[in-house]
Amino acid sequence: MEAVDLDVRRHVYFSIVANGRPPTVAETAAAFELDMLEMEESYRRLHDAHALVLHPDSVEVWMANPFCFTPTPHRVRAGGREWTGTCAWDALGIPAALHTDGEVDSECACCGEPVRLGVENSELVEGADLLVHILVPARRWWDDIGFT
Amino acid sequence: MVFLRSEEHLARWLATNRFEAGATLTATKMSELSRLWWGSRLDAGWRPRAPQESQAILDSLGLSGEFWQL
Repeated sequence: MEAVDLDVRRHVYFSIVANGRPPTVAETAAAFELDMLEMEESYRRLHDAHALVLHPDSVEVWMANPFCFTPTPHRVRAGGREWTGTCAWDALGIPAALHTDGEVDSECACCGEPVRLGVENSELVEGADLLVHILVPARRWWDDIGFT
Repeated sequence: MVFLRSEEHLARWLATNRFEAGATLTATKMSELSRLWWGSRLDAGWRPRAPQESQAILDSLGLSGEFWQL
């Protein structure tokens, strides 16, 4: 991965933590004093390297895993903000990434009943009776990351 | 990757959607995996993990076998 792409990725993630949303390509281009096309190419390289996930047919950030920027059933409170997790794994990954306690409000995929999980001091302290199911084998996780 | 309330709900969800079963983890195991998998994601010196490093994380939690091969 090119050094500039690592810097761009770090900027995107740190902006997410600071602002609760990913920066646009224009904002990142301005921060790096690069033109839009150069920054779009960097975003696309990060997408191709699975370091970010862009919306189909755009250069807007869809996921900077474990953070997601479209609605899902997985809502997370951690680090003084509310977040969205892409999936069950990512929802629990948000407090882990932020190194903080957190609460996950989600639902049972079968019945839709609300479920809550709590993480304190890196330990699951609420929701330990729940299960997580992964349908897609690891080798195929990136074939369709939205479904995975 | 979804939450389910019980084995019964899991079986019903798979049957209703005609999904082939994958792998099931307890929420506690998933929390441990999340801590190891995502814990370095915001490190200033983050670098992409080599596949064998990611595989080692899975192995460390006993997540082995064909399903977990990256």
